[in-house]
Amino acid sequence: MKYSICVLFVAALLFSACLPGPTSSVGNRTITVYAFSIMKESLERDIYPAFQEKWRQQHGEEVTFNSSFAGSETITNQILQGAPADFAILSIELDVQRLIHAGHVPEDWWVTAQRGIINRTPFVILVRRGNPLGITDFADLAKPGVRVIHPDPVSSGGAQWSILSIYGSELKKSEAANGARDEAKALETLRAVWKNVISTPGSAREARTQFETGYGDALITYELEGMLMKQAGALIDVIVPTSTIFSEHPGVVVERNISAEEREVVYAFRNFLWSDEAQKAFVRNNFRSSTNESFDAANAGFVKIEMPFTIHYFGGWEKAYPDVIDGIFRQQVKDNR
Amino acid sequence: MSANLSRLRHTHGFDIVKPLSVAVLLLMMLPLILLPLASIFIFGMSAGIDKFWDSLTAPDAIFALKLSFVTSFWATVFNLVFGLFAAYVLARYQFWGRNAIIVLISIPTAIPTAVAGFALLLLWGPYGLLGQYLPDDYRIMFTPYAIILANIFVTFPLAFGVIMPVLETMDRSLEEASATIGASRWQTFWHVTMPALRGAIVGGALLTFARSVGEFGSTILVSGNLSGRTQTAPLYIFAKFNEGQVEAANAVAIVLAVFSFVIFSILFFARDWLEAD
Amino acid sequence: MEDSDNTSSAVEVQNVSKSFGETAVLRDINFKVEEGEILVLLGASGSGKTTILRIISGLETQDEGTVTFHGRDVSELPARLRSTGVIFQSYALFPKMNVERNIGYGLRLRKRSRDDIASRVNELVELVHLEEHRKKRPSQLSGGQQQRVAIARALAYEPDVLLFDEPFGALDAQIRTRLRREIRSLLKEINVPSIFITHDQEEALELGDRIAVLNAGRIEQIGTPYEVYMYPQTGFVATFLGAANILVGTFDSGSFRSGKVVVPLSDSTESFREGQSIKLVFRPEDVFLRKPDNLKQAFHSLSEAVVEEVSFVGAFERLQMRLETSEAQRLIVTRPKTETAMNPLKEGDRVATGIVRFRILPNFPLGSETAGKIV
Repeated sequence: MKYSICVLFVAALLFSACLPGPTSSVGNRTITVYAFSIMKESLERDIYPAFQEKWRQQHGEEVTFNSSFAGSETITNQILQGAPADFAILSIELDVQRLIHAGHVPEDWWVTAQRGIINRTPFVILVRRGNPLGITDFADLAKPGVRVIHPDPVSSGGAQWSILSIYGSELKKSEAANGARDEAKALETLRAVWKNVISTPGSAREARTQFETGYGDALITYELEGMLMKQAGALIDVIVPTSTIFSEHPGVVVERNISAEEREVVYAFRNFLWSDEAQKAFVRNNFRSSTNESFDAANAGFVKIEMPFTIHYFGGWEKAYPDVIDGIFRQQVKDNR
Repeated sequence: MSANLSRLRHTHGFDIVKPLSVAVLLLMMLPLILLPLASIFIFGMSAGIDKFWDSLTAPDAIFALKLSFVTSFWATVFNLVFGLFAAYVLARYQFWGRNAIIVLISIPTAIPTAVAGFALLLLWGPYGLLGQYLPDDYRIMFTPYAIILANIFVTFPLAFGVIMPVLETMDRSLEEASATIGASRWQTFWHVTMPALRGAIVGGALLTFARSVGEFGSTILVSGNLSGRTQTAPLYIFAKFNEGQVEAANAVAIVLAVFSFVIFSILFFARDWLEAD
Repeated sequence: MEDSDNTSSAVEVQNVSKSFGETAVLRDINFKVEEGEILVLLGASGSGKTTILRIISGLETQDEGTVTFHGRDVSELPARLRSTGVIFQSYALFPKMNVERNIGYGLRLRKRSRDDIASRVNELVELVHLEEHRKKRPSQLSGGQQQRVAIARALAYEPDVLLFDEPFGALDAQIRTRLRREIRSLLKEINVPSIFITHDQEEALELGDRIAVLNAGRIEQIGTPYEVYMYPQTGFVATFLGAANILVGTFDSGSFRSGKVVVPLSDSTESFREGQSIKLVFRPEDVFLRKPDNLKQAFHSLSEAVVEEVSFVGAFERLQMRLETSEAQRLIVTRPKTETAMNPLKEGDRVATGIVRFRILPNFPLGSETAGKIV
């Protein structure tokens, strides 16, 4: 009796003790991609297979992809700590700067036709189905009685984008109307909107979850997220403002982690992301194209934005962060609440 | 009123406090524990059994569960052996620094798991204090071995904490009798001490394993979170949540919840058998 | 290692001393146990008797002195190499093993063959009459049964000596007496030398072939039960084994004198100096009481005494008396039922007292003369 128990036990031991093999087979070529969460669907369903097919035809080799998906900041931290990423797709250029400073990514990463941007998505406002409060623009969020969910800019890249979109849209509109940026008005609008913020969760993801469960009246978020939510059946409407910022997603080769043999395939992959095939795939997945605006028309949910701007409207992150996020928001809006 | 109730208790054996306290107990547990648990199950099944089963049988999901169980298994084995050894040394020998060591062993419970993961990265990561000297083919971090290492750290004191008190309060005359009968210290340990520790060993193992399977904070840092390669079940759940695939996350969450339930049921019902003489 | 020879005792303890830190627990202990003999170490708690046992078994190491078994010096050997069988106070049976496995443990350690072990275990199970319980776990046995398993387990590997640590402490009084006799006859049957330690003097008297009385780490007297009881060599031994009355007086012209009490010492063999302080020691059952005018001359008479308290103790009567000497000494007297029927006494009665038997001991103010407490 004791003997048979021992045998059973040892058998169970041996069976359970071996590490499971990886789900994807190991081919001749492996590319390890670290990307922010929402990229997963489009990469795994459309982009990877298409690239694998193309490479197979051109070189007769199998390419295997290893992926890790998390928030952009988390991915950056992981790479800084030595995670074995060959290629990274982030949601904010700030994170790229961090990688550059640590020596993982070369400074000239952006010297390409698309300035290194893989795809983009504008910031929009999500409201309850039917838009009961009549929101049409960022300034409307300052109306009395409107409850806004807004993630905390300290921890959320999405929140920083959102602040820039509110502030910047006012600057853009005043510039178009009067020829000059009205900073006072922009600040006032920002303050007014922020007064209506009822919750500041730690990440864009959490903000979305709060909004989904019925909390608050409005959420500023990536158009991409709004469209995914709508497709999943959420009772919301996507309001596209006349002027808003585009969140641009950089794709960088992590030079420090790739060997000479790997360079070819990794750069080929990066370049593939700018191919028409890949860009059209992104549009199907609710990203806006970074190479050709006309592709956007293929997505019925997209609305043309009259006065779009990007981070460069502020002079890049090096100026936007200290000027707007720190200088204007943190010091003059948040602390004076 | 209380006089009447007391009388009732004495003469008819009916104690009002009994059903009342049980009711209060359940009421307290309901919102804190029972409802959240129930909501996982409800939500996980809300999209239908088919969707639930699909989510559960996705290759990445199965891999994540397997990886969690295997890494937890090895972490448990190590911590059991170590816990037994440490408990024996510390319970049986007096030496300078003994109390310091006991405290040191217990420290991992006080440290936030993220800090533990980060510390391991700083030490063994590719740019780490010691990790930088490791040859390229022998990376520890961002592999399943890092997960095992992190789990060992985080669950370090659990088995030890269960075994040590039993050793300390054990009747020494058993070991002395064994010695007078002619057993060496190792023979006494194997034939007399270990059987007496059977309950504590199994209890410690189950506790360590269950805690290890649920570990998140350190794993997310040291594993690299590569799906299908180094993504454990809790990481998988979190990733699915971030992607917006809540049903898939729930499916795996249900498996983990059921698993924990089974473990603790075993611990509870087998408790008597384990402790019996 | 010396060869064992036939003239050596089974166990010989020589000049053993032991201190724990500052405290001296054993001082210069010497005794022998012969083949097949039962020696009882009798003493109060803290007298060091447990320590002697642990030193003999090897669980403790002596500071000085030697222990030999059949001439073989085992003083430096660890417990497992000594071949002693220890029966602990709690019996220390292995809880997860049944009776057979417990008994066979020592043989399994010695790598005997399965058959050898089985036959020896059978033999022992029959010896201690536990046939119906052989598959049971210790928790399913009574105290007496557990003790028998402990003995069988110790005997399995044929030890040089059996050591019993207060084995009857955990049992009821009735069972104790019965078990005592059973164990004694069992030990005589198997003829293995044994050492018992106990604080119970009745047990010592009934169980031992010889008794060693311990007081504060020293052996005060070793002898047969009769010797130790009837001829105690110190006041401690006198009071520890059975009760004793002690009168302190002086040696005066061939007699014991204490106030009005004069007892001629013509038949005592010890020689004392004139005026030396001596003690008159006599047992309560050796005191004879009569109404003043009825005291016969055959007794050594003491002075008159007054009854202070009468207690009924079942088989006999105990009286507390006040002896009329200069300091009004207290006496304890016991009388059998036959006496009380013939000569009933009550509180306040005045009687003449006489003693049938007594001992005279020198009155040395030694440490051991006090009541045996080691600090």
